[in-house]
Amino acid sequence: MPKLVIDGEEIDVSAGTTILQAAQARGREIPHYCYHKGLSMAGNCRMCLVEVEKAPKLVIGCYTPVAEGMVVHTQSAKVKQARSAMMEFFLVNHPLDCPICDQAGECRLQEYAVEHGTGISRYTESKLALSKAVDIGPHVMLDQERCIQCSRCIRFCDEITKTGELAFFQRGERSQIGIFPGKRLDNAYSGNVVDLCPVGALTLKEFRFKTRVWYLRNTPTICAGCARGCNVVVSVGQQQTMMTTRGQLDDRVKRIVPRVNEEVNAHWICDDGRMSYAKEQGAVRLQAARIGGENASYDAAVAAAAAKLANAARAGKLGVIASPRTLCEDLYAWREVVLRLGSAVFGARSLVSGDNDALLVRADKGANARGAAWIFGASSGEDAVLAAVAKGSVTTLLVLGDTLDPADTLALPVAAKGKVEVIVAGPFASGAAADAAVAIPSASWSEADGTYVNFEGRAQRVRRCHLPLGEARPGWRIAADVAASAGAPLPEWVEASDVLRALSAGVKEFAGVTAESMGLLGVAAPAAAGV
Amino acid sequence: MERILTRNVDKPEALTLSGYEALGGYQALRKAVSSMTPDAVTDEVKKSGLRGRGGAGFPCGLKWSFMPKEVDPKRPHYFLINADESEPGTFKDRLLMEKDPHLVLEGSLLGAYAIRAKAVYIYIRGEFVHEAKVLERAVAEAYARNYAGANILGSGWSCDLVVHRGAGAYICGEETALMSSLEGNRGYPRLKPPFPAVSGVWGCPTTINNVETVANVPFIIERGADWYLTVGKAPKNTGPKLYCLSGHVKRPGVYEAPLGLPMKELIYELGGGMLHGDRPLKAVIPGGSSVPVLRAEDCDVDLDFDALAAKGTMLGSAGVMVMDSSTCMVAAMARIAHFYHHESCGQCTPCREGCGWLERVLNRIEAGNGMQQDLDLLLSVSNNIIGNTICALGDAAAMPAISFVTKFRDEFQHHIDHRSCLTGTLLLQGVR
Amino acid sequence: MFGSEFEHEVDAIVARYPQPKAALLPVLWEVQKAKGAIDLEAEQWVASRLGVAPSHVHGCVTFYSMYKQKPLGRHHIQLCTTLSCMLRGSDELMRHLEHKLGIKEGETTPDGKFSLVRVECLGSCGTAPMFQLNDTYYENLTIESVDRLLASLD
Repeated sequence: MPKLVIDGEEIDVSAGTTILQAAQARGREIPHYCYHKGLSMAGNCRMCLVEVEKAPKLVIGCYTPVAEGMVVHTQSAKVKQARSAMMEFFLVNHPLDCPICDQAGECRLQEYAVEHGTGISRYTESKLALSKAVDIGPHVMLDQERCIQCSRCIRFCDEITKTGELAFFQRGERSQIGIFPGKRLDNAYSGNVVDLCPVGALTLKEFRFKTRVWYLRNTPTICAGCARGCNVVVSVGQQQTMMTTRGQLDDRVKRIVPRVNEEVNAHWICDDGRMSYAKEQGAVRLQAARIGGENASYDAAVAAAAAKLANAARAGKLGVIASPRTLCEDLYAWREVVLRLGSAVFGARSLVSGDNDALLVRADKGANARGAAWIFGASSGEDAVLAAVAKGSVTTLLVLGDTLDPADTLALPVAAKGKVEVIVAGPFASGAAADAAVAIPSASWSEADGTYVNFEGRAQRVRRCHLPLGEARPGWRIAADVAASAGAPLPEWVEASDVLRALSAGVKEFAGVTAESMGLLGVAAPAAAGV
Repeated sequence: MERILTRNVDKPEALTLSGYEALGGYQALRKAVSSMTPDAVTDEVKKSGLRGRGGAGFPCGLKWSFMPKEVDPKRPHYFLINADESEPGTFKDRLLMEKDPHLVLEGSLLGAYAIRAKAVYIYIRGEFVHEAKVLERAVAEAYARNYAGANILGSGWSCDLVVHRGAGAYICGEETALMSSLEGNRGYPRLKPPFPAVSGVWGCPTTINNVETVANVPFIIERGADWYLTVGKAPKNTGPKLYCLSGHVKRPGVYEAPLGLPMKELIYELGGGMLHGDRPLKAVIPGGSSVPVLRAEDCDVDLDFDALAAKGTMLGSAGVMVMDSSTCMVAAMARIAHFYHHESCGQCTPCREGCGWLERVLNRIEAGNGMQQDLDLLLSVSNNIIGNTICALGDAAAMPAISFVTKFRDEFQHHIDHRSCLTGTLLLQGVR
Repeated sequence: MFGSEFEHEVDAIVARYPQPKAALLPVLWEVQKAKGAIDLEAEQWVASRLGVAPSHVHGCVTFYSMYKQKPLGRHHIQLCTTLSCMLRGSDELMRHLEHKLGIKEGETTPDGKFSLVRVECLGSCGTAPMFQLNDTYYENLTIESVDRLLASLD
């Protein structure tokens, strides 16, 4: 374990650690552009130059491994001068696009210019003019002038997706990022290059000019696109529009970006996950409760649902089908309601399509399929429930609708129509909700706190990113209200964590799973060890 | 003075293998392969004091000794000959390749033997079309004579010999960029470590040497290191040297002399003196454009590694570029800056952005549009490049700029103050 | 796109290296020799033959200054203008060539006969000024010798 001194502090690190990593571990950030933990070394930006005593020149911290007895200075006059020199070089050809560039507010060039630059550039010659606003893929826009040639995007396409779309063209000062003429940057993870780009050279088409990043409210949560459960940050707009008075917020999801979780998704998310919020936003939401297709008050709908569910459960004629994107808390709450009222055939839908890819994407699109299997029982499935409907042994169906994608919301098979009475608790107006006897609006994926269990049995926290639309409520809240109305109340639950505590005590696979134990990176549920 | 390296360049028969042999060639290779171990060859070269002739002057035998002494079959050894000769002012390797190709091959094979190489790749600049053809003919002859290929001279050692043409990039003369290019990539220099002897081309132990450097080896092996130490200035500046004389002299060309030839002798005796009688010497760049310039009054110096280093410059590639009193030093430096700007690979920030900046400022000063702060700006930008880049091209651009501005400041100042040139040349004459 | 003879030549080149990618520069030379230039279709052929991405090939074609993406003049004049040649009159020669050919540096004559570019040091400083015309070096040039040479070309 080499011992070295960084800025006067003696530290002990494992062999092979670089100066930059050692400094980071001690909370000292060394500025850098091209270095990225998930990619190979480039060492080309030269921003991380630091001083090592007895070395003939400054060295790059990202690449230089620590050595026993090394003495490093990251804040000396020489280092500060080098940083400001590098910043001046970066700004030689970089266009003054800040007023129109999406990266503003989360741009390393801006941040380092303020922190490490001289404030004034001595460059008074002309700047290179290259192509701007080049559409290079379904999601990505390129601005060659803004590029600082860090090569992160190239390395990503070479090393992570192994698709090699991007490369440097030309030489020297004229080097520019490009794609083979006629080809597109259309691999399934293309959006990650936008996150990787430290400046605004690569921007996401769907986010361009939507809002300034300082108007975003960011929430760490979990993607609902598939059973991988990639860790993400969802950004919700807060910008007050010109035409409203104070307090009227935009409050919609503006973008999704990945969060680092080495156990789940490393640094990346797939493009489908990145764009998944659009499915929720593009849909017609159930904003008010309905009875028999007519708008009704929430309380009336709850009472109607409670009566039908109680009857069916007591008579053993109830079936429950849940979307595999339903939160654990909601599944558990509904299960408890039904079991207090009687019994039912339970089933979680299967949303398997396509194949697992080599990176993150799972064929199973049910973000909480594992959690549903644990709560509803492993042998449950929608086929069993629909078969019971066909046989006539289920005449009332409770459908817990999909929270993300209206296209995945259950639509009853034609054969079942007329044979069964449907009660829906879900966010969307389509599918089974369209002809339901009772439809109660529930929170969508971005509107409620809860827990998802990914395909590896990792329990992770889903967080509410913005207020639910209209009358929608969290599913477990609706279940509790129905239970109360049916005279079989559930315990006093105020927040999702109350439900989680009950779930953790009541379902053995969830022992020890708490909000604290999951934290930001999730926790492997004990049952995961078994499979 | 005995001609060693250039002994065959006037003899057309040397172009064929049999002719080269008749002139005494390939004795060294035969001797080494039959009666010396690879390490003995390395030791002899080490003893000789031979220093690299590409520009850096690194001790050749020492470089060879960095290679593993045993070959891991999964990681064969490679010997790369740097024939990318692109340093402005330099044209000596070309002479050897064109006129005595077998000397180059014999030296390459000796080095390959010493480092236990599986193959030699001669990376020759793309513009040397004729020289590449000459080498390829010689390579075919070497294979036919079993000096290359399988089981060379029955020794059990097999080694291939391949001529590999570049395609127009000065940076590929940098050893790690050469390796990147040979592997089929853009010529980007690489971070070190790992050093080539540990992990070079295709992740394998690799040695890279200049053409002239390996051309010395047959003589060292045939005549011995002790003999070699008597040529030039032992212990650290030994051997014969090819000097490239160009610019304002009557007889520019390649001249061989023992290392340590006095510059004035090269210019005035061998080179025939100044091109125009009425235009005296003004400045000399002694080692290719990457090294600091010398004013005429500093030109009483021996052309060897250490003597030039003591004067604050370098022997480099021994490209001696002579400038007379008609030379506008501002225009000369602007032209040099253009070269580095054109040739920078663009990988790292200070060189990519700094070389263009230097050229633009120098062009402005040359054209009469300089500003008072420009000279200190040039020095500052140059100093910001030096030491901060991945490879030495940044330094190579910056050091001349510093030396020209420092040593000829009055000329630069005159361009700025008076928008005219002390040499009387009209401004904007340059091809821009 | 290429006949079997060409493909055999490429196979022979690839065999000289431990990895096919290393044959990239030599194969691009063969393409340029065969077609006069390296167009995008050829780049894709090379990419697929050597198992690399087309962008990688394009990146190399645009990095190395001797590869052409379109054919230039039948007689491609590459005039060296680096320091030693500049000291011996390359700039005057460039002006003369521009005047004589009626084009500016970087251009091709309308009849496609001549193209003229400025290049960096060609390693012929002892015989400056000089240029490379197609593959051949023409050294120790004077205005007269240049005019004689141009007149002799068809």
